[in-house]
Amino acid sequence: MYRLSRLRYIFPIGLFVAFFLDGSVSKVFSGWLFSYPYSMVSHLVILWLVLAYFFEEDTKIPLVPFAAVTGLIFDLYYSGIIGLFMFLFPLIIALTKALAKYFTPTFLTVIMIFFIDITCLELINYFAYTIIGVVNSSFGDFLIYVLAPTLALNLVYLVVLYLPIRSIFVRAMQQKNS
Amino acid sequence: MQKFFSNRRLVIIVVSLVVCFGLMAGSVAVRNKRATPPIIQQFGNDVVGFAGAVIAYPVNAVQGGFDSISELMNAYQENQLLKKQVSDLAQVKVRDQTLAKENQQLKKELKLNNSLTDYTTVTASVLTRTPSSWQNQLVINKGQAAGISKNMPVMSGAGLIGRVSEVNKTNSKVELLSDSNEASNRFAIQISNKQGKTVNGIITGYQKATGQLIMGQVTSKVKITKGSKVITSGMGGVTPKGLYVGKVARVTKDDYGLAKKIYIKPATNFNNINIVTVAELDS
Repeated sequence: MYRLSRLRYIFPIGLFVAFFLDGSVSKVFSGWLFSYPYSMVSHLVILWLVLAYFFEEDTKIPLVPFAAVTGLIFDLYYSGIIGLFMFLFPLIIALTKALAKYFTPTFLTVIMIFFIDITCLELINYFAYTIIGVVNSSFGDFLIYVLAPTLALNLVYLVVLYLPIRSIFVRAMQQKNS
Repeated sequence: MQKFFSNRRLVIIVVSLVVCFGLMAGSVAVRNKRATPPIIQQFGNDVVGFAGAVIAYPVNAVQGGFDSISELMNAYQENQLLKKQVSDLAQVKVRDQTLAKENQQLKKELKLNNSLTDYTTVTASVLTRTPSSWQNQLVINKGQAAGISKNMPVMSGAGLIGRVSEVNKTNSKVELLSDSNEASNRFAIQISNKQGKTVNGIITGYQKATGQLIMGQVTSKVKITKGSKVITSGMGGVTPKGLYVGKVARVTKDDYGLAKKIYIKPATNFNNINIVTVAELDS
């Protein structure tokens, strides 16, 4: 169904915009996002992918391949260390799918699942970068100064962008039916 | 749970874990050793860089707009201050020109071609920043095509901000001095005191809490006072001599009380960088 719907255009465009906005937001607001000791990481890509899963209804968007490709580009362009996000993004999609089975998707459960997604993402990111030696900060510092602010920022994103993104998806589906 | 860890899935998970860490370790090794990343990675980065400009330029333009409004607010006071400095600056500039000319002539007499203070600069604008709490990295819009190569020092505003960590054809990545990667801020620097005596050393760390650079293991007896200017020393041969780093903020003993530890306040705020200058040593 994905090939026939208008989401075929809208979903990749949204992914593209979210991907580059992550970097631009980090650059423009770096004074606020990375002010010592807190650092907040913007995860608009994850937000778009997770919300796409909840709003796609019967349009089966191939989310896992999209997530893998986006992750690869993320590794290449932003971090320069290949191999983490290209596996992590699809993993987050799989996690969302696994969790969503047990809940009816309401606003609150979406928030909760997104919360778990971001936590897993940041945790795995921290551990992986610790193993390869990019990070040398303690786990406690990570929890307080990175994970908590990041969760706060991304929950704000979710609350603000939930309705606009839903209306984008709803509109795209309507035009498909008519 | 039984179903989740079925045989096939377990194999896939293990294989992708291995591939994941293999790739990460490989790319870190490549990054540390080779001057440029593999050609495919370069090409990918160039394409993504072009596509990213579609988003980056409008956002940067909006930021520029807001910045100029806030600058307009305090333009009057700044203007008065700057007017006083301009008259001084004119004199300094003329003197600088004559000195540079004299320097050139003297070098010719001595048959010295290029010394460590001869460098050319490439100006680039910042496209984006890595959205990560671990890597303080900027992506700039000039690359190999503009003559940039790995490990070149990068300046912005008044002083040094970092070094080029990865070069592609049309864009490159800059690691800021505040990055947690330990190799990112090892610059050879020197401090001169009022008597004209200099202390050489390297930047050994970055203190996040105060945003100050640390020059450790200084055993020299030369007395360094607060406010002394810190510049790059040019030792090592990659960084030109005389790039401004910052001012000495305080001088303490290190943990064992044997050597001095000098804290340096960087000249530039690392969190508000739009235009950078990459310095290239003439050779």
